[in-house]
Amino acid sequence: MIEFRNVSRTVTSGAGPLTILHPTSFSIPEGRVVAITGPSGSGKSTMLGLMSGLDAPTTGSILLDGVDITTLGEEALARLRGERVGIVFQFFHLLPSLTAYENVLVPMEIAGVRDAGARARQLLAEVGLAERGHHYPSQLSGGEQQRVAIARAIANDPPILLADEPTGNLDTATGRHIIDLLVTLRKARGRTLVLVTHDPELAAMADEIFVMRDGRIVERREKAA
Amino acid sequence: MLDALLFVLRMAWRDTRASCLRLTFFFLCVGLGVAAIVVLRSVVREIQYTLTSEARELVAADVVVQSTRPFTDEQLARIARVAEATGVVASQHLVDTQTMASSAGEDGVAKLVELRAVEPGYPFYGALELADGLVYSHALLENGGAVVQPELLAILDIGVGDTFRLADRDFVVTGVIARDRVQRGGIAFGPRVYVDLATLRETTLLGFGSRASHQVLLKVGEEGRPAPLVEALRAVLSDDIASIRSWEMLEDRIGRNLRTAENYLSLVGFAIVVLGGIGVWSVTRVLVQQKMRSVAILKCLGASGAQVLAVSLLQILGLAAIGSLAGVGLAAVVLQMLPMTLLEPLGVTAVTFKKSAAAQGMAVGMLVSLLFALVPLLEVRGIKPLLLLREHSADTARRRDRASWLAAVGTAAALVVAAVWQAGSLETGLYVSAGFAVVAGLLYGASVLLIRATRALVASPRFALRHAAINIGRPGNQTRVVLMAVGLGCFFILGVRATQISLLSDLTGGISDRSPDFVLIDIQRDQIDGVRTVLAPYLKEPARIMPNMRARVVGVQGQRLQLDSVQAVREYGRLSREYGLTFRDHLEANEELVAGTFWDDGTEREALVGGADSEVSIEVDAAEDGLEIGDLVTFDAAGVRFTARVTSIRRVAWEDSQSGGFIFVLRPTPAVERAPHSYVGFAQLREGLDAAGGDLQRELVRAFPNVSVIDVRDIIATIRTIVDNVTLGITVVGIVTLVGGVLILVGAVAMTKFQKIYETAIYRTLGASTRLVAAMLAVEYGLLGALAGVLGAAGGTALAWGLSEHVFNIDWQPAPGLFAAGVLVSAAIVSGVGVAANLDVLRRKPLATLRSE
Repeated sequence: MIEFRNVSRTVTSGAGPLTILHPTSFSIPEGRVVAITGPSGSGKSTMLGLMSGLDAPTTGSILLDGVDITTLGEEALARLRGERVGIVFQFFHLLPSLTAYENVLVPMEIAGVRDAGARARQLLAEVGLAERGHHYPSQLSGGEQQRVAIARAIANDPPILLADEPTGNLDTATGRHIIDLLVTLRKARGRTLVLVTHDPELAAMADEIFVMRDGRIVERREKAA
Repeated sequence: MLDALLFVLRMAWRDTRASCLRLTFFFLCVGLGVAAIVVLRSVVREIQYTLTSEARELVAADVVVQSTRPFTDEQLARIARVAEATGVVASQHLVDTQTMASSAGEDGVAKLVELRAVEPGYPFYGALELADGLVYSHALLENGGAVVQPELLAILDIGVGDTFRLADRDFVVTGVIARDRVQRGGIAFGPRVYVDLATLRETTLLGFGSRASHQVLLKVGEEGRPAPLVEALRAVLSDDIASIRSWEMLEDRIGRNLRTAENYLSLVGFAIVVLGGIGVWSVTRVLVQQKMRSVAILKCLGASGAQVLAVSLLQILGLAAIGSLAGVGLAAVVLQMLPMTLLEPLGVTAVTFKKSAAAQGMAVGMLVSLLFALVPLLEVRGIKPLLLLREHSADTARRRDRASWLAAVGTAAALVVAAVWQAGSLETGLYVSAGFAVVAGLLYGASVLLIRATRALVASPRFALRHAAINIGRPGNQTRVVLMAVGLGCFFILGVRATQISLLSDLTGGISDRSPDFVLIDIQRDQIDGVRTVLAPYLKEPARIMPNMRARVVGVQGQRLQLDSVQAVREYGRLSREYGLTFRDHLEANEELVAGTFWDDGTEREALVGGADSEVSIEVDAAEDGLEIGDLVTFDAAGVRFTARVTSIRRVAWEDSQSGGFIFVLRPTPAVERAPHSYVGFAQLREGLDAAGGDLQRELVRAFPNVSVIDVRDIIATIRTIVDNVTLGITVVGIVTLVGGVLILVGAVAMTKFQKIYETAIYRTLGASTRLVAAMLAVEYGLLGALAGVLGAAGGTALAWGLSEHVFNIDWQPAPGLFAAGVLVSAAIVSGVGVAANLDVLRRKPLATLRSE
């Protein structure tokens, strides 16, 4: 369960304070898939950053499974992300110095998971990259890198998965594969998934769509049954 | 816990494996720095060893315990106990005394000689060089043999194999001294004579009331330092022994030169360490910047700040260890290849790889890497994972927290301690640290000003200039890094170099052609004209003859000092020795008035003298010992007391000994002239008459038997050799520092290329030609190099001034050529390296660079 209570975010720019997210409240029940859409600069990524504890709100509180993450320090937030939140980025953000296999391994190593190697290999197989584990990110295509990033995000089987434009940096066909992969994983694991996307096809797989504009959620659309 | 540790180890290894090329620079920087340290330290040790050997030869031992009375068995037992406890490897006794030597005949001439009675094995260091190819051994002294200086043969008109008499015993001349470097305290009153100690003890010379100096010579071995032994001996012999001295405590010019050389060499050792550190700092900073994204990802995946920091620290330490080891290996190779012709004149035939230098190099390499890397590395804790979503959020990471400040302060403190340790002197260490801080501050300020100043160039119509200016001022610029690295490097290299110039000028200027060949002692007033007449045919210019009075300070009524009695003076310590005084009405050529007025205008100054018997001009050393203008000093010359008011302070150029050198110069007044005194003369042989020294002595002693003539050519030659060696040592070390320092800076500047790769690729993508990008880089780096050069050279000049004037106590020599060369070479090197380091990026396809970045 993700809960926003009166959460706002203001940044200081050259022209003075700029509110990029106006006070917002909502909750996302466990197991639900939510897509956040809207034009550039509408506050989508800000929302995701706040949800993952990567950013701190100016006002309000954010609760993940009942824990108010706005009261946590950086170390506790890092631990929380390692255990409960998986993140997929538009630009993949794989560690360039590590192979695909090692990239998937890292979160499990941080969390001290036993038999991490076997699980990493299994996850790579799940995303269709069983044979590419020893390749470095620079030796993989964009789609392959994103699949590694997804395998990495679910490595510790987190109850919450956040994805920031996961297909935004990929061509249509590759994006399609990623969408299929996320749908498959979602079905298999039944975890909470929050997607920031411009892609209507990707948004269509969500249970609910938040439409944002100018730092506000202007519309919430339930998926037609 | 184990999992966390394993994770840290694995990540450190993986990151190192992948960043091989970039880390190679770090590795090279550390390796080069450590190699420079080990090579320098080894060379310095070898030079120091040579200089030390020379100093040991002057004393003949490591430590000499001296007493005016024979040692008691109990005293000898105490000395033996200390010797055993401090690792003394050998000891022996000797006795110095003055006595009359006479030829065996009834009407024989008598001459005061400096007699030294020694045991087998003398001297511990060096050797007595004998004439006619004879090799000195103790056998020459056995059975009444004596080795003498040639002056005695000339005076007594005897030769090798002839007999002469000392006290109640005849001795046979078995050898003639060609060169004797051993120094003895005070002025020599006659030619030296060596005899066997056991034989001397059979004579009446050491009987009750004799004036002899009994000495125990101690040898601590090649590697040992005498200081602990001296300290231990002082502790057990505090009350009853006149003096304990070692070769480290040579008080005269030779000792000062040796100490100066040692200080300088240590300073250079530290400078090279800091230069290596600057390289490491520059490299680490770039590494941290490149790791920001990876760190953010790791944090995103749940890694803690401590884990990420541990990964980086482990990586740096591992690389520093391997780099240091490689540096030690490199040093071993370099030492094999070192051109020994450079050092041969010093008597150094091979510079061996010193384990202690290697250990020190390793330790310093690791310490400096850690210290210099710590501050930039701590930044990884502050890196926010949010930068993965929003690039500008990285700015928040640059805010310094308490730990960063603590680390910065700790690093600074550790560097000050390291500076003091490496320089071997608190004063030098503090000077260097202060200079370092000031220059670093100035460079930081200059970088801010430069960024502002170049804003004007942003409007330049020339593309290269415009973009160079934009680059200097853009966010995340490398202006500060290059300015700090090159500026501080320049500061150290030029500081060391400029100090070297002052030192060399002092050393080579120290021995002038005006050094006398002979010193004449005990000339009486009515003999002055006669002595001049005898000497005239031999001399370049008339002998300089001046009054010489042996006197002690027995009272001071002053502003800072109130010493009412002999006892008070003795307890104060600093003015308690016997001084040679003179009186005259003019300043000599080697004297310079620094305060007060001299009486050379002939004016009567009763009011100023204020009831004193005379006026006295003091040397700056005496002023440092507590005397001031206006003080009333009471002197005692052989029982005759008189007072003198201090009216001026002089500085004496001691090296110009032809004009003599006196701490106290008195105004000639009846009271002063009544005090017992004789005259001392300085004479320099005419060119081409070097061999006529013996004739001169013989003629003079025949005419004036009371006058002692001392041939000081040997002493001067010894000083000259040592000064030449010190000069050569300093020059060689200076060159090694210069080359090593420049190489390290090249590495540091080359490292900044990694920040330029991406933008260079973008410029190329946008259609900029290779030449245009190269010009842009040349202008940007050239501007930075020139400014760093100006500031570094100014700081280096200030450092050289401070060290010369306040640490080495020598005259500072301005070096405008060095300053200009420093600025130009800095600009050229930084500009050249900046372009050269980016050449591969300029040649590569931009897309490859953009993809990999």
